Amino acid sequence: MATSLSELDWFGEDVCLADVDTALARLRAKASEEAASMRTSVMTHLAWVPPEWVEPARAALEGMAELHPSRTILMFPEPDAADNRIDARAAVERWEVPDTDRGLVTEVVELMLRGARAQAPASIVEPLLISDLPVFLRWRGEPPWGAPELEQLVAVTDRLIVDSTEWDDVPGAYRSLAELFSHCAASDIAWARTSRWRSHLATLWPALTEVRTVRVRGTAAQAWLLCGWLRSRLGHEQIALEHEPAETLEGVALDGEAVPLPPGDPPTPSDVLSDELDRFTPDPVYEAAVLATTAPSP
Amino acid sequence: MTATAPKQQENPLAEGLALRRTPDPCALVIFGASGDLNHKKLMPALYALAVRRLLPQRFAIVGVARTEGDDESFRQDMEAAVKQHARDEFRQDTWDELAPQLHYLSTDFADTSGEDKVHDLLEKLDEDEELGGNRVFYLAVPPPAFPTIVEALGKRRDDRGWTRLVVEKPFGHDLASAQQLTATLLEYFKEEEIFRIDHYLGKETVQNMLALRFANGIFEPIWNRQFVDHVQITVAESIGIEARAGYYEHAGAIRDIFQNHLLQLLALTAMEPPIDFTSDSVHNEKVKVLRALHTPGPKSVVRGQYGRGFVEGEEAVAYREEAGVAADSVTDTYVAAKLYVDNWRWADTPFYVRMGKRLARHETTIAIQFKAAPHPPFEEAASEGLRPNVLVVHVQPDEGVSLAIGAKVPGQGMTIRTVHMDFLYGGAFRTGMPEAYERLILDTMLGDSTLFTRADEVEEQWLLVDSIVAAWQRDKPAFPNYPAGSWGPPSADELLHRDGRSWRRH
Repeated sequence: MATSLSELDWFGEDVCLADVDTALARLRAKASEEAASMRTSVMTHLAWVPPEWVEPARAALEGMAELHPSRTILMFPEPDAADNRIDARAAVERWEVPDTDRGLVTEVVELMLRGARAQAPASIVEPLLISDLPVFLRWRGEPPWGAPELEQLVAVTDRLIVDSTEWDDVPGAYRSLAELFSHCAASDIAWARTSRWRSHLATLWPALTEVRTVRVRGTAAQAWLLCGWLRSRLGHEQIALEHEPAETLEGVALDGEAVPLPPGDPPTPSDVLSDELDRFTPDPVYEAAVLATTAPSP
Repeated sequence: MTATAPKQQENPLAEGLALRRTPDPCALVIFGASGDLNHKKLMPALYALAVRRLLPQRFAIVGVARTEGDDESFRQDMEAAVKQHARDEFRQDTWDELAPQLHYLSTDFADTSGEDKVHDLLEKLDEDEELGGNRVFYLAVPPPAFPTIVEALGKRRDDRGWTRLVVEKPFGHDLASAQQLTATLLEYFKEEEIFRIDHYLGKETVQNMLALRFANGIFEPIWNRQFVDHVQITVAESIGIEARAGYYEHAGAIRDIFQNHLLQLLALTAMEPPIDFTSDSVHNEKVKVLRALHTPGPKSVVRGQYGRGFVEGEEAVAYREEAGVAADSVTDTYVAAKLYVDNWRWADTPFYVRMGKRLARHETTIAIQFKAAPHPPFEEAASEGLRPNVLVVHVQPDEGVSLAIGAKVPGQGMTIRTVHMDFLYGGAFRTGMPEAYERLILDTMLGDSTLFTRADEVEEQWLLVDSIVAAWQRDKPAFPNYPAGSWGPPSADELLHRDGRSWRRH
């Protein structure tokens, strides 16, 4: 795997976006002076990061940048700040490409949106989007459904990535999420984490065709999404869910009978995010599962 | 009204899942299991498939070779091979799952009891592991051993399960021997059961040629004689013949590389878009190109043999000084040729190809050189350093694509210079590149022969090679004619200079 060779930094207070663009160009030129470097991008990756999610957001980015060379724009909203301004940090990171004498550079921009500047984030990121490449929006925590910042950013986004494990109101919030399906494609990290189990359960078909109760030991999001998936795929809206809370998805039982653990290791958070960034089109199976979670329980 | 069978209900839970294609339970029998190919390529590839859980759940690997040994020694040997050659870090848990599936038979296939031993072991594995009689037979043995093994396998095959036979190159020594071999194989196996390996086709970047051409709207309209000045294909190796003198003395560069890898690269470059990516559609288009290849005259082919020289700073001996090589050998270690594809798309467009051992560097590239702009409105001096647009597919190393374009040098006035726009495979897709054999072994188990060569392709390739070699019989070359570490003999440069062109700079 690639190794990071160098990271070049710039920080500015009360900046305009042209300052950020200029800083990025200077940093890229400096990286190229050090060694032959290519600017390679496959997307613009936006992340809306409320204060309580700053550290997890940075942690998930570790290892992701080298898998998906991109311009990453992290937005840290501080609507209650006393002043109205944007502080920005720009960094260009140079990665060694294995077996070559060349490197590639990726870009990370952090925007601290203070006071009123947090109100219209789309107008801030729009000038920084890389032309002609898809835009992914990672929203940490539960999105403020109906809030202008969410609607604005969704409007400039090809794919919204959430992690419904981070939400308190599950399955209720899925109804609000479903309203966004007609505006942009959606991915859910919680859904992605059920992938091993779904693949495994699929191998049990047709034996589970008539299942009536699913018991899931895992997060509420994973439990509801698995239940919604079985309801929607098998066409039985009345499949009941019994949820046993746990930090990770540890077990599934169908009509009281435990399903053996699926083969392989669970993916790392970076791998899960990375997989979601490989997808570009809506996922009708996920959308149907989300809608089915909100069906009335039997 | 015709009665139709009821359609089997599809698994609703499978929809949307990136369910990997998993092969049916089967036994993979490797003949020549003690050889280099198994140690360096096959077993590391099988381990990589095991790491990614792409092997069938019920699976057995049977190594067959003359070397004395048993299951335990074979497992130890293969563990060492995996540790040394696999692209993945060694994982004990993965190996512990894979190792019990490895079995070994020490036998000589010329001996009938050897054939029975293999048959009996497979029967037992079928019963113990429920493999359903599915078999992949991998012939990683020298070609003279093919007929004996094929006949023995063919005589013992029954109707249970499916059978696939993988044949390593070289597939024959000339057209007649290739046809004879095909006839032998077809006595016992159907064409769709025969998988002729050309490992170049399993390389990601070779497959990317198809993506580049047929997934991008901008290239195909200019991919023809109207816009392309010529094509250059280079398969250069910096290594010598290593310990393969016995084989290489009889094969030479023309049979080792030109007949298979190089002509396959040319076919992929020149072929028409297939209607789909099924095996037959792709083979049909490739074979049309091979049939359209014009037999080159003697002046359009250059052969060479390396003398002493320096490669990467180290002194290299001449080919004739290599162990096992005759002191007066006239075997070619280098071939360059000017080829024409006589069809509507490529008429009069030369394809310059070259390949050789002990060249200046290890590199495989396909370069499409476009015609110059018809009337640049700049002063001559402004663009004197400007070269034509070239689209280069880097097959290995530095896998990727680059496009040479003219750009204005910043400053007063108008000076134009050639610059490169690079797409580096490893730069955009940061996942590890699978080895060619991983893809090809998996495809064999899945029964997908798209990335293998069909009998008619192989025969067309031999037809061209035979006509070139026939012309060589009439003269005695002045070998050696290029120093190790160079880009080949001067006559290869002249081949292009005569046309007012030159080989690409590296």
